[in-house]
Amino acid sequence: MMASAARRESGRLRMAVPKGALFEGTVDLLVRAGVDIGELADPGRQLVIGTGDMEFIIARPTDIPVYVAYGGVDVAIAGKDVLLEAGLEVTELADLGFGECRFVVAEPEGAARSTEELYRHLGVIRVATKYPRIAERHFAERGIQVEVVKLHGNIELAPLIGLADQIVDITASGRTLAENRLRITDEVLASTARFVANPVSVKTMSERVNGLAARLAEAAAVRAEGERDS
Amino acid sequence: MRPVTPRGFRDVLFQEAAEREAASAAITAVFDAWGYRPVETPVVEGYATLEAAVGKALETTAFRLFDMDGSLLALRPEMTVPLARLAASRLAGEPGPHRMRYVTEVFREQASLRGQARQFTQAGVELIGAAGAAADAEVVALLVEALEAAGLGDFTVGIGTVRLLRGLIDAARMPEAWGRGVTDAAHERNLVELDRLSAEDGVPDAVGEALRRVPRLRGGVDVIDAAGEIAALCGCGDVLTEFRELYALLDAAGHAARVTVDFGVMRSFDYYTGLVLEAYAPGLGLSLGGGGRYDRVLAEFDAPAPAAGFAVGIERLMIALAEQGATPCIRPLDAVLGGGDAPAVFSAARRLREAGWRVRLAVGRDGLDLVREAERVQAEEALVAEAGRVVRLDRAGEPALPLETPTPAPPAATWGDRERGERR
Repeated sequence: MMASAARRESGRLRMAVPKGALFEGTVDLLVRAGVDIGELADPGRQLVIGTGDMEFIIARPTDIPVYVAYGGVDVAIAGKDVLLEAGLEVTELADLGFGECRFVVAEPEGAARSTEELYRHLGVIRVATKYPRIAERHFAERGIQVEVVKLHGNIELAPLIGLADQIVDITASGRTLAENRLRITDEVLASTARFVANPVSVKTMSERVNGLAARLAEAAAVRAEGERDS
Repeated sequence: MRPVTPRGFRDVLFQEAAEREAASAAITAVFDAWGYRPVETPVVEGYATLEAAVGKALETTAFRLFDMDGSLLALRPEMTVPLARLAASRLAGEPGPHRMRYVTEVFREQASLRGQARQFTQAGVELIGAAGAAADAEVVALLVEALEAAGLGDFTVGIGTVRLLRGLIDAARMPEAWGRGVTDAAHERNLVELDRLSAEDGVPDAVGEALRRVPRLRGGVDVIDAAGEIAALCGCGDVLTEFRELYALLDAAGHAARVTVDFGVMRSFDYYTGLVLEAYAPGLGLSLGGGGRYDRVLAEFDAPAPAAGFAVGIERLMIALAEQGATPCIRPLDAVLGGGDAPAVFSAARRLREAGWRVRLAVGRDGLDLVREAERVQAEEALVAEAGRVVRLDRAGEPALPLETPTPAPPAATWGDRERGERR
């Protein structure tokens, strides 16, 4: 790629913050870590928020690995799931513990023929998912031949309309799956939010990046302890 | 049809090509001054050859193709393995060490929609047949001097050694799978996973602590001492002896200020056995280049020999130069030479070139038209050749002073000084 040596105000550390499910937890953690977040908590329609020595970019979670790997931002908070799915080169500095979710394999409860039987018969099963890389890796590790169908949402519909035999999807409680009469057959992986950095920013801004990593990790540990106690 | 280049490949036009050429030439001059000699290898290699050295990383990087015999080939993804192959085959009988240099294209496969190039130009060296601190220091010094010669003002070269991590893995006396996990986590720059593995049951406390600290160690000579102490506690204190010598040599060469000791330097190819190095420019999200010591690669080709080298990515270097306002200045043409008397034009052009002029021909053109042409190609002068003499045109296209005999020095010769003057 033609690297984007993006111009930024000198000395500012640029950080991508995921919108959506991880946003609140991220903002709270930044505050706890003593980071000046300016208007980040209530950004309105702004996508770029500058403070004294930081610049926050509010980004779509799945775009964050791209921003980080290509140097568009120096650091970011991103879910492990998104990082694995992107498969790009980023330095993972700290596990922040929050935003927990797990990837599971699920299939219809009342499948007329079990998926195993199908597999024995056809030698291949069809799997619908939003996360083709994670799904492919999971089945490859088990030596199971699958055809992955990539969909963009409502994955639990796929088996109901006959698009796929199984799905690989994220679940927090398993409720949506149960409501759609799907049962979990296998665990793929568990994911939490991570603090990541561009591999070169770790080197050229090492003190600030590593300092922030340490503060965030500590704040995350303190917050987790507080949540356990309460 | 309207033809386009395939995804990830591009044409490089005049100005940019000239700038890339100038930067490459400056780097080549440094390599040459150290006694490195040019070599060329085929653009394709047998896939098995590359795979033997690169290992599993090749799967995702190789640009593969089949020939008519059904042989699996790959465009070279880098030059280290081709040069190791060359050293192990054509140079097998010759006494080393071999010092080789190149500036050439390499190819990497990339998934679509990632905006990634599939062809790069790399400038690099390989020092094959020499081991030890002196050889390592030579490679690091060459990288520093090459980047300086290219005109880059602000950069650092991070140096580390994979021996430290390997030493710690051995010292842990854990199952092989654990060691592989540690190596993989290090390659993926996944410090979270590294921390997790360091805390697994059975890992000696000293080693666990070392695995958490070592990838984060970064600084000057004091960092080598710190790492040495950590390693000593794990019973592998001797893994840094050579590295310490290397640093002393770089210091003696006056390069210590450019070099940062960094035991977190990880390279994505996993064939490195000792020194690893990587160059960074601020604001560029990717390293400028890197390399290291790969003593086992030649053994894969049945000609064991120690070896080290590095490559600089010319594309990335040009971006860093532009960011720092240090793009090489390209000397303009001295003249366009017109006139209706074609034999006179050719004969005058030869005399001018012999006097060091860079002259572009414009046979048949004259007057204002020729002056416009000179402006278009940014030549310093518009000249017209007549029988026996050459006349300068003024800006209105009228004949002005004839060119003196003997032919004067080319006007662009002093251009570099003028340019520098303007910049000041």
